[in-house]
Amino acid sequence: MTTSLVAVQLLNGVEYGLLLFLVASGLTIIFGVLGVLNFAHGSFYMLGAYLAYFIAERTGSLLFAALLGLPVMVLVGFLVERLAISRLYARDHLSQVLLTYGLVLVFNDLQRALFGNEVHGVPMPRALTGSVALGEMQSWPVYRIFTSVACLCIALLLRQVILGTRFGMRVRAGASNAEMVEALGIDVRKLFSALFTAGAVLAALSGMLAAPLTTVYPGMGEGILIVSFVVVVIGGIGSIKGAFAGALLVGIADTFGKVLLPGVSSAVVYAVMAAVLLFRPRGLLGQPALQR
Amino acid sequence: MVEALLETEALTRRFGALAAVAGISLRIEAGAVHAIIGPNGAGKSTFLNLLSGELKTTSGRVRFRGEDVTRAPPDRLSRLGIGRSYQTANVFPELSARECVWIASHSRKDGEARVAERGARALAACGLAARSDVAAGQLSYGEQRQLEIAMMLATEPILLLVDEPLAGLGHDEARTIVDLLREVARNRTLVLVEHDMDAVFSIADTVTVLVDGRVLETGSPQAIRESPRVREAYLGEEE
Amino acid sequence: MNASRRTRVALLVFAVALALVPLSGDRFWVQFAAKMMIAALFAMSLDLLVGYAGIVSLAHAAFFGLGAYLLAGLTNGAGLVSPLATFPLALAGTAVAALVIGFLSVRTSGVYLVMITLAFTQMLYFLFGEAPGLGGSDGLYVAQRPRLSAFGTTLLDLGNGRTAYFFIWAALVAIYLLLARTVRAPFGRVLAGIRINEARMRTLGYRTRRYKIAAFVAAGALAGLAGVLDATLYGFVNPAIFGWRQSGLVLVTVLLGGKGTLYGPALGAVLLGVLEHFGEKWTAYWNALIGAVAIATVLALPGGLAGLLRGSRG
Repeated sequence: MTTSLVAVQLLNGVEYGLLLFLVASGLTIIFGVLGVLNFAHGSFYMLGAYLAYFIAERTGSLLFAALLGLPVMVLVGFLVERLAISRLYARDHLSQVLLTYGLVLVFNDLQRALFGNEVHGVPMPRALTGSVALGEMQSWPVYRIFTSVACLCIALLLRQVILGTRFGMRVRAGASNAEMVEALGIDVRKLFSALFTAGAVLAALSGMLAAPLTTVYPGMGEGILIVSFVVVVIGGIGSIKGAFAGALLVGIADTFGKVLLPGVSSAVVYAVMAAVLLFRPRGLLGQPALQR
Repeated sequence: MVEALLETEALTRRFGALAAVAGISLRIEAGAVHAIIGPNGAGKSTFLNLLSGELKTTSGRVRFRGEDVTRAPPDRLSRLGIGRSYQTANVFPELSARECVWIASHSRKDGEARVAERGARALAACGLAARSDVAAGQLSYGEQRQLEIAMMLATEPILLLVDEPLAGLGHDEARTIVDLLREVARNRTLVLVEHDMDAVFSIADTVTVLVDGRVLETGSPQAIRESPRVREAYLGEEE
Repeated sequence: MNASRRTRVALLVFAVALALVPLSGDRFWVQFAAKMMIAALFAMSLDLLVGYAGIVSLAHAAFFGLGAYLLAGLTNGAGLVSPLATFPLALAGTAVAALVIGFLSVRTSGVYLVMITLAFTQMLYFLFGEAPGLGGSDGLYVAQRPRLSAFGTTLLDLGNGRTAYFFIWAALVAIYLLLARTVRAPFGRVLAGIRINEARMRTLGYRTRRYKIAAFVAAGALAGLAGVLDATLYGFVNPAIFGWRQSGLVLVTVLLGGKGTLYGPALGAVLLGVLEHFGEKWTAYWNALIGAVAIATVLALPGGLAGLLRGSRG
């Protein structure tokens, strides 16, 4: 591999990792604070992508699709939390897995019913269609630069919200001790509802950003869900920093796997996960097993 | 000097900035009933959890029968002969008393007949023979404490770590447990964490007072009762 | 008659009824019943893990798939036809995979374990879907169905639908009896103790991780058996059987039937099989129907069908 090819792959890996982070951060926060493992998180990604396709095709504008689609996702996230997830807070993880697995099946068929089984391309915004030369042989699409920057901005915003606002303070308190949050008189119901909805919106946004790059297709939510699980497992469950590190690691490993080990590329990220687990069963930044 | 069964050397456990146990060096002599008292938050339960391996030590050492067991996991310590009972009855609520004790006894895997016999003996010793078919969760609070001790005995420990066996018990139930502990202590070594001072002074051979994760004083019940430092730091407040 | 006696009689009647299905002579229903029995065996093996040891694993479909692919590989690649060779080898291979995955997964617990087992399942799915020579996403035909012959005569031909049916029936009955015995044996009671309170089991001296790995391997090998039987019945394997949805589906089966009862998950398998069969005819969206069943089970029927039969919902 030439240096410029390595550079392009590295950039692609980072870009994919940043998109993954948007999905995985929601997954890990929702588990950390709400204590719920949400399999339907990938469905939000898929719905986001399909909304982007659906609205962009009719309006010709991805930006418009995002502006119109995200409020829809706020509603979806809110309703799913109120109607289903909120009944899981006191339940064991088996119940959580099964209920959210059921939601995945329902969302998949909903997608089929609304949008059909075909694979759809989503055009990039015209202003972002070019590419930037990297060395003599390689170039990097402007749209990938745009998504990387957008994801980075959102990640920084997320950090600002969590570290610098009252809402963020409550989230952090909730992650470390849910009882204490209640003792402080914070309305846990509202907090959980808001957090879950925010996670759903982040996942959908990630799907919208990815849509022009990946096309939209049935089952795309499950693929991203499982990779996000790998990210969360590698990073340490409940840790946002861990999710960030894990997402970049997985993004880069996956991209280089496709180039270097074409036959078995999809298995590469799982091998990385197994290697991390061997040495750190709780992930890179996970809390050690709670012992009493 | 009597041989120490268990010895800790500058044993320390930190939770973040807080040192719950801050350099405790203690000798538990074979055959003794060694009570550990102290105000709430003195580090008594943490200390027991370090001895049973349920918490990892931050620094310091534990030696049991001369062997360094500082990093040993709880299951290994149990097999070495360290038994543990809990402040809140930590039984298997869905299982009957007999099954709870069977599980404890079976951990020693020496043939079903011996497992069953040892279990029955432990139940009888703790006065639960007539209640053996009742689900542990249905037993009275006091009976659950008895079961807790029976489970510990069924593993045939050499050293027993007993955490607040009287907490939450009525007067009569507490008496039953004190008598039981006295009986149990005849041929075993006991480390007893307890708030009930009358009980402690009636059965302990040695008493250690912990304050803020440190040993304030160790001595005979008599010496502890008369120690001005202990009175000032602890006993005085309560009496 | 007390409840457990009634259950036993019902199971006996059910087993006899299943044995009589081939008399109907209807090929479709014979194969359908055989499929249900394999699903029941698969769900029971997971119940050992979920209902008794309290380990929620999403790797179970991976072991089913491995068993099926190993049978195909041993037949097509090594030319082995005798079930006396292929079945033990396929089971042993699955058990080894379960040991490796179990070793890595059981060091954690709870949701961590759920995610890790899911990831391993997905890894195997990709490996078997992409590896050269395995037919990709189209899968593989099993060149020859398992057949046992000696001195020139065929003793057992599992290519024969009826023979295969009775073989699967016998396997189901035998595995049920084996599992029922196992969960009552000391091993099963220790697993129950670990499910209820693992920390306490450790302070009682148990090396709990070894027990959990043992349960993982046993359940994995039995899932492998279900996969072997599946490949025997259909003569065909494809990577979709590895999919995480299959792992999810078998968990739904266990909870719908009632975890920790063995016969409950078998019942769940039959019910879901019937639902799938008629659902497919009735609507293109029968997957959503299964999803709705999963959601309804969690919210309204945590004890499953077995809990309903016993008159309690817990």
